[in-house]
Amino acid sequence: MTTTITIPTLHTQNLTLRAPKPADLPAYTAFRSDSVQTKHLGGPFNDEQAFSQLGEIAGHWQLRGFGRFIVADRTTDEALGVVGPFFPPDWPEREIAWSVFANAQGRSIAYEAVLAARKFAYDTLGWTTAISMIADENIRSIKLAQRVGCTRDADYQHPEFGAMQVWRHPSPEALT
Amino acid sequence: MTVTLSNTPVLETDRLILRAPHGGDWPYWKDMALSDRAEYITAPGVNESIAWRGMGHIIGHWVMHGWGSFIITRKGDDAALGMTGPWFPVGWPEKELGWAIWSPEIEGTSIAFEAAAAVRDYAFETLGWPTAVSYIHRDNARSIKLAERLGAVLEPGSPTPAQAAPSETDSEEDNILVYRHPTPEAPS
Repeated sequence: MTTTITIPTLHTQNLTLRAPKPADLPAYTAFRSDSVQTKHLGGPFNDEQAFSQLGEIAGHWQLRGFGRFIVADRTTDEALGVVGPFFPPDWPEREIAWSVFANAQGRSIAYEAVLAARKFAYDTLGWTTAISMIADENIRSIKLAQRVGCTRDADYQHPEFGAMQVWRHPSPEALT
Repeated sequence: MTVTLSNTPVLETDRLILRAPHGGDWPYWKDMALSDRAEYITAPGVNESIAWRGMGHIIGHWVMHGWGSFIITRKGDDAALGMTGPWFPVGWPEKELGWAIWSPEIEGTSIAFEAAAAVRDYAFETLGWPTAVSYIHRDNARSIKLAERLGAVLEPGSPTPAQAAPSETDSEEDNILVYRHPTPEAPS
């Protein structure tokens, strides 16, 4: 019997944004165990933690009514990253979060996925604003935040991760 | 947006409805996780944020395997009293039947027994498990009593989760006992 979390699936030109599924575990575990990739995320994480965390992406959807998508190649369905609305209890407000796996970087995947996820947050979820939280040294993410029109707010002091930059997205009105 | 799990079973016993978790279970889980009752259920040092992610993991386990731990409710009242069911995260040596009673209100009611027996039948008959264990802390007398009442037998020497997948968060002393459930009887 296959159990799925029933969430919308989004399509962009090159990507599918969809629910996590068991077949994503190898790619997700490789990402979570990569000390460079998870440097800003509290990692690296072992196989057991990665299993829990992939499940937590699904659980977030049920607990909040929204959550992050697995970003997959539209043709092959290979998991390339995790992007979307994110709001755990230790977050200052609702975020559009993004992570792209190492083998998928440099292809504007995050850019394409973030625009789709932000549109979903504004148009479908009715969000009136959104932030993205980024570690100081994460130059790649800061560049992406700027590319999608974000401007910097005051930092947020996360109890575990320390100071994080807060980047605010343009409002729905500003994007129309 | 209401988000649900698809294709999840509902089990019925004399007094209970056992169902997959949903977002409304979070307050019940949180109350337990932040109380003394969490001693044998969650990792030490749990806070709201960690408890919330734990609830996400309980839900996500269903997605990862197609089965997972059921939420225990009384018929006619959807309030979450605890959870019990098949459990097999990465790092577990073999498939487990787990249980955790969240609400002190059901202690002494045999509800945990009624629920665990039903999910064990489900694991054996519907999921087709040939065997099952329960991993129990050696000091958790109530849980040991329940395992014994279910006919499970202590199995010294069988691997525990900490032995199968050591991690730096494990305590130095492994206090987990392995109880083996009786296998389903062949049809007579």
